[in-house]
Amino acid sequence: MSTPPTSDVDLFADQVVLDPCPVHAELREQGPVVHLPKNGVYALTRYDVIRGALADWESFSSTSIAFNPMANQALTGTSLASDPPAHTRLRATLTENLSPRALRGLKGRIEAKADALVAELVEQGSFEAVDALARAFPLEVVADLIGFTGHVRDNMLRWGQAAMQVLGPMNQRTAENFPIAGELYAWCSEVTADDLAEGSVGRGIFDAEARGAIPEGTAGHIIHQYLGAGVDTTVAAIGNVVALFAAHPDQLDLVRAEPSLIPGAFNEVLRFWSPVNVWGRLATRDVDVEGTVIPAGAQIAVLLGAGNRDPRHYDDPDTFLVERNPVDHLSFGYGPHGCAGQGLARLEAHAVIEALSRRVKRLVAGPEVRVPSNITRSIEELPVLEVIPA
Amino acid sequence: MKIVLDRPRCEGHGLCEEAAPQLMHVDDDGELVLDREEIDEADAALANAAARVCPVAALRVE
Ligand code: SF4
Repeated sequence: MSTPPTSDVDLFADQVVLDPCPVHAELREQGPVVHLPKNGVYALTRYDVIRGALADWESFSSTSIAFNPMANQALTGTSLASDPPAHTRLRATLTENLSPRALRGLKGRIEAKADALVAELVEQGSFEAVDALARAFPLEVVADLIGFTGHVRDNMLRWGQAAMQVLGPMNQRTAENFPIAGELYAWCSEVTADDLAEGSVGRGIFDAEARGAIPEGTAGHIIHQYLGAGVDTTVAAIGNVVALFAAHPDQLDLVRAEPSLIPGAFNEVLRFWSPVNVWGRLATRDVDVEGTVIPAGAQIAVLLGAGNRDPRHYDDPDTFLVERNPVDHLSFGYGPHGCAGQGLARLEAHAVIEALSRRVKRLVAGPEVRVPSNITRSIEELPVLEVIPA
Repeated sequence: MKIVLDRPRCEGHGLCEEAAPQLMHVDDDGELVLDREEIDEADAALANAAARVCPVAALRVE
């Protein structure tokens, strides 16, 4: 067995986080695991090893999902950063209110909201897609679901964004975002049932705490996770839906002609542009990955987007094809830590795609604006210059 | 061969049902029901597809 190849790439450099695909391709060709001394990490680059590592929680622990020790410490004891068996119990409470089962009743309301919003934008004829749709829609859905009102609602985006940024290495972006992530943290440690709208899922979490279904004092943690993990990523995914349909009108036509393609189209959006660039794990022992050894204690960087474009797994991976239906893409992670909010994300995105494909024939978009970000890769601004209604 | 469901882990995403509706379905309460647990060679590919697509790795074929 040998040591993995080395690269002097910096995964968190501005130009890399803005457009990771070329770097991902380069690393993927170097090997399934590449040591990156600049970041002090071992990067997993190919589909099979990424999926394998996400399933193997015993070798790849979640106690180091962030790339700086402060963030990892702050996350200690949450479902996100724990391993089974502790994780299993925390996860169950987290998903109790978030599983497709729990969300069944919401489908109609979410679809109606998406439709009303899209109808309004089509009526306007032009709009800024990120603010008016990609941010507005999940914000409204999540705020109503958890029961956020007032200043929390106003701060959700800032807080959600900061919660992701601070998972990066100790660079300037991380440092600048710690105080903002701290506001969210502080609020969640003091939130009480009365702060959340009656009948909301947030209230339900406090009810669960009151009846002893979850340990005392953990309701706030769960709310922190909903907000921290669920807002920024969904904004990215919905922005990508609009941008990719604008850039590939033939693919929009396919969905318009065949609405059963909607779930597959969303899978393809997630595969093509992974909302999360990189996620951490910790090697708990010397792990043999296809003949090379990752040493015990090493920080792992899981390159979800690199796996999603691995030609060993997907034919013609750099082409956006809604008929591909890549149900096994890596953007939600996989296994015990597979995205707990994916049921809600699907409900939201399917509703948006459905409304767009029914009401819009063509979207003419201007150039997208991106700003560098540590973990989430999203579009900052996307001018839709013209809507040709259906 | 047998399909094994890790019930506590299953969150009812239903992707397995989409992959293999002949073998399983999500019932009205949102619980996954295995309509056939013992499967033969002919259904192995379907069962494997269902296991593969489960996002939380709650299904196994053994
Ligand atoms: S895909 Fe997995 S989590 Fe979803 S219903 Fe099937 S077994 Fe359960």
